[in-house]
Amino acid sequence: MRVIGTLPEQRPPLNAGSAFLYTSAVLALGLAVRWTHLACSLLLVGATTLIVLAGRSDRATAIHWEERLLARARALALAALASGLAQVALQTALLEGRTAAALEPSAIARVLLETQAGHVWLVRYGVLVLLATFLALRLNVERRADWRAARGEAALLGAAALVPIAASGHAAAVEPSAALATAADGVHLLAAGVWAGGLLPLALLLRAAGREEGADARPYAVLAARRFSRCALVLVITLALSGTGMAVTNVGTVAGLVGTTYGRLLLAKVVLLVPILALAAVNRSVHLPRLSGDGATVGRPAMRRLARFVLVEGALALAILAVVGAMTVTPPARHEPPVWPFAFRLSPVTLEGAPSAALRALAGSQVAVLGLVGMATAFLVRAWRLRLLVGGIVLLAAGAGLALPPLAIDAYPTTYLRPAVPYQAASIATGAALYRTNCVVCHGTTGAGDGPGGARLPRRPADLRASHTAQHTAGDLFWWLSNGIPAAGMPAFGRELSEEQRWDLVNFLRALSSGYAARGMGPTIEPDRPWLVAPDFTFAVGPTPPRSLREYRERRIVLLVLYDLARARARLAEIAGRDGTLALLGVEVIAVPVHDARDAIKRIGREPRVLFSVATEGSEAISAAYRVFAAAPHVEFLIDRQGYIRAVARGNGGAGDLDKTIAEIQRLNDEKAPPPAPEEHVH
Amino acid sequence: MRAWKVVVLLNLALVVGVGWGYVFWGLKVARLDRELTLARAVASSGVEREWVVAGVVRAILPELDVLVITHGEITGLMAPMTMGFRTASPKIHEGISIGDEVRFTLRGVPPNVAVTAIEKTK
Repeated sequence: MRVIGTLPEQRPPLNAGSAFLYTSAVLALGLAVRWTHLACSLLLVGATTLIVLAGRSDRATAIHWEERLLARARALALAALASGLAQVALQTALLEGRTAAALEPSAIARVLLETQAGHVWLVRYGVLVLLATFLALRLNVERRADWRAARGEAALLGAAALVPIAASGHAAAVEPSAALATAADGVHLLAAGVWAGGLLPLALLLRAAGREEGADARPYAVLAARRFSRCALVLVITLALSGTGMAVTNVGTVAGLVGTTYGRLLLAKVVLLVPILALAAVNRSVHLPRLSGDGATVGRPAMRRLARFVLVEGALALAILAVVGAMTVTPPARHEPPVWPFAFRLSPVTLEGAPSAALRALAGSQVAVLGLVGMATAFLVRAWRLRLLVGGIVLLAAGAGLALPPLAIDAYPTTYLRPAVPYQAASIATGAALYRTNCVVCHGTTGAGDGPGGARLPRRPADLRASHTAQHTAGDLFWWLSNGIPAAGMPAFGRELSEEQRWDLVNFLRALSSGYAARGMGPTIEPDRPWLVAPDFTFAVGPTPPRSLREYRERRIVLLVLYDLARARARLAEIAGRDGTLALLGVEVIAVPVHDARDAIKRIGREPRVLFSVATEGSEAISAAYRVFAAAPHVEFLIDRQGYIRAVARGNGGAGDLDKTIAEIQRLNDEKAPPPAPEEHVH
Repeated sequence: MRAWKVVVLLNLALVVGVGWGYVFWGLKVARLDRELTLARAVASSGVEREWVVAGVVRAILPELDVLVITHGEITGLMAPMTMGFRTASPKIHEGISIGDEVRFTLRGVPPNVAVTAIEKTK
């Protein structure tokens, strides 16, 4: 597996004097503070809930353990308060961009009172202070009701101090369902607190009860371990579910997972989780059943080993928190350009038109499924478990080895980069101009790869209209444009063309190949089959504010008319005459003149009385871009409410019978389920 | 004091504190909300108002005393659109032709507004 270098990182410009804040030492300090605070908050929840879970005991060792735990909880609450203060001070310095702001009460007060994160801090501080005070009270809990009330209250306050963190993290910024994401994050935090935070306190109890003199508390410890184990299963499943949900919202793609800092941190978190879960599985299946064995020979050694294993689990969980702390200060993968680390990617598009490869992939996938079934069976039946498991793994590996190679396709660091320039008419028009000056020599005027310069190259220039362009991502095209294809004689344009210009070319190439695919599209729509995305454009009528095609999305059907006034006067009159009908059918007519846009309305004059939108600005870009889809003196595009071009009428001055167009519009109105709106970017 | 009583008191204090804060801020927000609605209503009630708007002339209908203009947003009255406006006097049509970019004055008690002045901007 070849790993290609990374792209240069982009950093925000720094204010003068704030550079110190971005040094690695301050970064490390920030992480340490975050980790301390998070660990204290989680351990508080874990300790207080474990006491409730284990219940009250009258054994001396158990009471001693409970008291020690409460003493530590007091210390933890104070540590959480202190590290919280430090974290707010650091956050203030970063927000203000001044180191000194960390010690200014007025600046800190501003952050606390005026930001959402500040409000969350205030609430959590309040609860933490309450909790610390409550723990310091040392109430008399000799009676059962008092014990329950006091310990329950501590657990409740611990949870109340932990869960609001969710409202100040990435989840609170998720669009559009921030409430759901925050709830998932809150559940995740709480489950992590009870489970991961409870491991170390449990290890303490097991160690105390595993000692010679702790024999009195052994039944109590066994009971606590069993209860905790039962809860842990539910909690781990909850953590996995909520964690997966958050990963999908914050990362979303495989490229985001392997190609961004956030995604890689998440991977590190999962990798650290594996040994924890393995230890947990051993504890559950081996050590836990042995606890109730004969005290001296089986029970006590098992308890001591369990104590050590749980201790390691708890330590690993604290290590995970360091990764979590780093994740909270890293922008989520969804908002970062992913840098693909591998020289290949897997895509089913490679199988199109390759029946033997498709057969191989199909056969391989069947074998792999068989392997999975074998592994699943191994978990369900007792007999033959090991053989089934090994056989399943072998089959899975063989299936993958058979199915995956044909799916591999070359990939580059930029492969999954999202275009920095949206797929819009202005960008396509710029790209078309760049194509004419830089690419025509080899790729030819139509993009067929038949330019005169291409004849002497080691490989014939690619036919840019061909459907195989669809196999490549926008990021692939961007890479080739930037770095060239040395083997084929394609030069690199990374120096000559700016990044934006290269994206313009990518957008033009997408328009070119989809325009070629649309050469057969006529004036009748194909019902329920939208595929040709209409590039967005902006236009203005006189001095009114500019409007974009996107504004009509989900509201109006757009009839885009590219006209040449000298020939199209009659057609404009025809459309103007049916203005009322078109408006009733939900159609917005946008007429785009090919010549002399500035005074287009003046040139139309008194007759025909045209009242629909006539673009006096933006028309050059619109006609340059849309001509890529249909090159004729007069073209009418029917664009549905989801933003797809559904029908194209070409003509000299008119474009056929307007009644037919209206019939097509009615068919568009009759379409039932609206297909999803296309994305703004090519992909 | 018994521990459970302490807990009950604590929770009671919490509920009262949170509730008091909610009522305090909630009432304030509700009051501000009412004031805002009132202020908006006053702004758009039967008072004569005036707007100066940019647009482009699309059609001139002297027989109806109407100018059809594609215009930008008219604050508090309407979104950008193409529509016919009554003119206050027939003289306003003079010197204006289709396709002219104009700045026009709209005056009246909504929704009865009329163009009272118009000038070409280029």
